[in-house]
Amino acid sequence: MHSTRKGRVLAVLMGGLLAASLATAAPKIPRLKSGKPDFSGIWETTSAAEYDLEPHSGRVDAPPSAGAIDGKYIPYLPAALEQKKKNFAARGTDDPRLKCWTLGTPRGIYYREPFQIFQRDRDLTLLFQFGHSVRTIHTNGTLHPEVTDNEFYLGDSRGHWEGDTLVVDVTDFNTETWLDRAGNFHGPKLHVVERWKFLDENTIEYQATLEDPDVFSRPWTLTVLLNRHREKDFQLIENYCFTLGYDKFYPVPQQGTTE
Amino acid sequence: MMTHSMNTNWLVKVATAAALLAGTQAHAQQPPTGAGIQREKTVTQIESGKWTGKRLADGQPDVQGHWSNTIANHNNWTDPQGGVPGDPGRNGPPKTPRSERAPSRVSDPADGEVPFQPWARAVQQDFLKYFHNPIKEQYIEPLARCAPAGVPKSFTWHGYEIRQFPGYVLFLFNSGTRVIHLDGKPHLPENVKLWNADSRGRWEGNTLVVDVTNNNAKARLARTGEFFSENVHIEERYIFNSDGTRYNYVATITDPTVFTRPWTATIPARRFSLQDEPDGWHYEVALANQPAGKEPLIERYERICVENNGPFGNIAVLGAK
Repeated sequence: MHSTRKGRVLAVLMGGLLAASLATAAPKIPRLKSGKPDFSGIWETTSAAEYDLEPHSGRVDAPPSAGAIDGKYIPYLPAALEQKKKNFAARGTDDPRLKCWTLGTPRGIYYREPFQIFQRDRDLTLLFQFGHSVRTIHTNGTLHPEVTDNEFYLGDSRGHWEGDTLVVDVTDFNTETWLDRAGNFHGPKLHVVERWKFLDENTIEYQATLEDPDVFSRPWTLTVLLNRHREKDFQLIENYCFTLGYDKFYPVPQQGTTE
Repeated sequence: MMTHSMNTNWLVKVATAAALLAGTQAHAQQPPTGAGIQREKTVTQIESGKWTGKRLADGQPDVQGHWSNTIANHNNWTDPQGGVPGDPGRNGPPKTPRSERAPSRVSDPADGEVPFQPWARAVQQDFLKYFHNPIKEQYIEPLARCAPAGVPKSFTWHGYEIRQFPGYVLFLFNSGTRVIHLDGKPHLPENVKLWNADSRGRWEGNTLVVDVTNNNAKARLARTGEFFSENVHIEERYIFNSDGTRYNYVATITDPTVFTRPWTATIPARRFSLQDEPDGWHYEVALANQPAGKEPLIERYERICVENNGPFGNIAVLGAK
């Protein structure tokens, strides 16, 4: 009896020590030869952020959610808030997603279709299944272009490492993208700072801080988790859905169909 | 002709910078219309064999960088420098004898013709007949609507970038992106059809060998209307020379429902690098904005083209600049 009790105490002690060491050790994460974290892989969020970044009850086109924003709500300036309300009312027709347009940064990251990261020392190549668009995050010390009116869908992305966190400065956007299906939006002065960090080898914490002096009263931050696709033989399947509207004009010719 | 989603002012700037780098005055002159397309008249022979050039850390031959075809664009598949037959405009019938123009992209059979079955030849001729007068939607080439150019047409449409990663070769085309899987995964189920098809590759010496299936067959091979069906099977061989300056794309195309026999397409390509001037077609890049004292570096900007948000759309939506 006595020895059993001693054993239990020992087990509890050891368990405690083990837990303590797990809590303090850095997570084991994939790394490039250079030692930098290697985000290569196919990722997708399980977050409902893309339906509506802000807290909302369930509705016919969105499941309920407590939102993904630090501070709950986007700090719109008054005129921008009116525009957001208009966008929300017209979301069934005006959402660029419905035309399959490139979703932009950061929306493409938390859209519910996978994207793949290919990584080299000099850059990360992000290939999105939706629309199959390509974003390059440069990590070679280069700066934003001197020309600042390219008006990219995905922005111009320059990254650097802060420890194991990839910090990406993104500028030079057009205004053809929304932030979610609820009509949250930005203007041409949008500036995004992303922070990409492994929580464990199969989970990335993705944060984006957005500022736009014409639209928001202060910078604000959203956070989503990205999960690694680990299904056997999983691969991206190109989704050029913008071609579906004219797909019907291009039936593959078959013998017997010549006029 | 499509121009892509970015403004062009940076291109001009880059062209000037590149001309200065190359130490030449000739670049300052505006090239004549159409001169952006390479006009080599022959195909450089490159044999399959050992790779003696640079390798990446994972062992792949290092062929990363910017490439484009050396012959002509996609106007005409079998007479690449002959223009689109029936063109009512300035690019009317060619003024040179056929022997003075680049050979057919059909390298086998020897006559340079696609071995169509009679019904399929009629379909191709029908598309060509209406190309300049598209009285129905089906006569507008999908690429003009920003559809991906697909396999193999992408290799005759603007320059492109190759990026390599362990297990992958990526082609970033002007219209569409293609992922070559080197990891031995099985092909997608056969009823999944894709503009860029499904590609499984492996390196054999200097040659990237790629098995291509799941082609949706909607992108015609050229404005002359050549096509295959969803049953097509393509085996591609990208044969690189070891100094990394050229490669030939050699593809065996098999589709018993459209052709009388398998045939081979050959598309020559060359590398574009810092010494070349960006020309808005083969080589659409920018000089990276580097901190002072760093070596010049080329980079590619986003290339997004979808119906009404790409080249035409930027003007339609945002207004001409």
